[in-house]
Amino acid sequence: MSSAKHKGKGPQSLTANTLRDGLSVWLTAEFDWSMKYSEALITEDDKIIEKMESIGEESERANDVVAPYFIDVEAESGLPVRYREKFRVRGPSYDTATLVPLDIQKV
Amino acid sequence: MYRYDEFDADMVSSRVEQFKAQVERRLSGALSEAEFRPLRLMNGLYLQLHAYMLRVAVPYGTLNSTQMRKLAELADKYDRGYGHITTRQNVQFNWPELTDVPDMLKELASVEMHAIQTSGNCIRNVTSDPYAGAIADEIEDPRPTCEILRQWSTLHPEFAFLPRKFKIAVIASKKDRALIRAHDIGLEIIENDAGDIGYRVYVGGGLGRTPVIGQVLRDFLPRVELLPYLEATLRIYNRYGRRDNKYKARIKILVQETGIEDFRKQVEAEYAELVPLDIAVSPEEVERITQYFSPPDYKDLEDVEVKSDDPAFARWLKHNVLENKTPGYSIVNISLKPKDRAPGDVTSEQMRIAADLADEFSFSEIRTTHQQNLVLPYVETQELENIYKKLVGAKMSEGNIGLISDIICCPGMDFCSLATARSIPVSQAIAERFWDPERQAVIGEMQIKISGCINACGHHHVGHIGILGLEKAGVEFYQVKIGGDPSENTALGQITGPGFSQEELIDGIERMVDHYIEIREDEERFIDTVRRAGVETFKEVLYVDA
Repeated sequence: MSSAKHKGKGPQSLTANTLRDGLSVWLTAEFDWSMKYSEALITEDDKIIEKMESIGEESERANDVVAPYFIDVEAESGLPVRYREKFRVRGPSYDTATLVPLDIQKV
Repeated sequence: MYRYDEFDADMVSSRVEQFKAQVERRLSGALSEAEFRPLRLMNGLYLQLHAYMLRVAVPYGTLNSTQMRKLAELADKYDRGYGHITTRQNVQFNWPELTDVPDMLKELASVEMHAIQTSGNCIRNVTSDPYAGAIADEIEDPRPTCEILRQWSTLHPEFAFLPRKFKIAVIASKKDRALIRAHDIGLEIIENDAGDIGYRVYVGGGLGRTPVIGQVLRDFLPRVELLPYLEATLRIYNRYGRRDNKYKARIKILVQETGIEDFRKQVEAEYAELVPLDIAVSPEEVERITQYFSPPDYKDLEDVEVKSDDPAFARWLKHNVLENKTPGYSIVNISLKPKDRAPGDVTSEQMRIAADLADEFSFSEIRTTHQQNLVLPYVETQELENIYKKLVGAKMSEGNIGLISDIICCPGMDFCSLATARSIPVSQAIAERFWDPERQAVIGEMQIKISGCINACGHHHVGHIGILGLEKAGVEFYQVKIGGDPSENTALGQITGPGFSQEELIDGIERMVDHYIEIREDEERFIDTVRRAGVETFKEVLYVDA
């Protein structure tokens, strides 16, 4: 399950959305936030998870991210367990933005 | 169309400044996310699966070309170069940054637009017939009524925190093109035996996880009583609607639990307590607002018949063009359902082309439809070929309105944080399978509607074929409903049984369509055959491999 407090099973990752642009981010091994899931810190170590939780709370207080929460991660694939979270990692399977020239897009 | 008066302009501008300050306070930390969330939602700003999403109100689906160009500008300047037409006639941007939203709202205000009440537990944007003011079968243009409701409901202090969201739709024809009986309140403008114009009021309709068809609350409500009567209805809902369970908080549940007879008695009792003309709109004010919706400056033309040897143009004429009530004029539907795109998505370039076409051919007016298409309502029939050629260049020339590829589809798991499965790829796969235009024409009218979760934004309950995307153990599957009807014969589809993978689903739909063609009689549409032959026979072919 996903929770702001670690209540899950197995390997965990901490995710959130950035406050300013709303994009999905994951906490890295450097305890920084990255938009790349490949850089996400995935661990079962309770002490590290405790630190991740406090970093998440701190980042929220600092208004860097919105509503951080832990997600369960599949041990074998390294991908999130929940389908929804897999989609946050992959991004949309179809986006009309791909039809629009990049030089006229803001984001 | 309606133009802001000084009050409207001041109200929207002050709201923009208010939201700008709220965003600044959120960024500085003076507001927590819990405090900020209801404020951003009141301004149409959601935090979705991958990013923020801004929903812009298009009151009763009417836009002018300047507004459409502004939407295109916002799409490029602050987003990823496109927008999405929703099933409530609004426009959504999928990728705005929070820091840009106050500027976006300011720019919208400059063209008399906003995002107020496109979210939250308030009265939402009033929707209507996309052919309003142009179609011959209407008693009158329903948009003045919509505009009166918009003015009444915008920032209404008593109804800013209802038990749940509240949606109203208005039509003025026997033919329902706005799905009024799937709304919290549906209004049908009618004429009684004495020749007076008034409203038939439906209440308690809705889709979502508990689909209900609205029931008649008042068979004939005199025009002048509209606002007091709706005020009484909303008061009963506000007082007795359930706030303990958000899944039981819509008025449809209150009406179901109370029973329509008792609910009506409660409304009438509340109505009797009101000073009847306290908030009633005077005939003079109705007339003033109606003036804003005066017919355009039509030329005095004769009806002309347009024919073509070009099969694609002929198809477009047949399926996308209707007669305007004025001789020599037509209503043009612009399909936003090409085979390989997301239903309802429109690029900034296409928005500008639609705006140019509106300026050149349709008195600068455009409509959005709940079917996620666009409409040019006032086109000279002799200009149809010119318009078609320009639409071909803009990749908006599909002649598929009302056909199997004209699919309603929510954003689904690709964008929505509530979704349980994707819907866009399913719609693309159906369009791909049935793309042959000759085959689509043979199949005829067919409404396929797809929702990516039980909240039913894709209206799957009222699809001739409705598809609901779900997920179990990381695998998407799709449930099928058959026999829904979004028209004036509103009906909810029946669930057929266990779900399918996407691939199995498309095969199953094809078997049902083939079965329909095999057993249909005369000019029967798919929905007519389902009604005559029953759902069971379609279930049998749907599950033939199961």
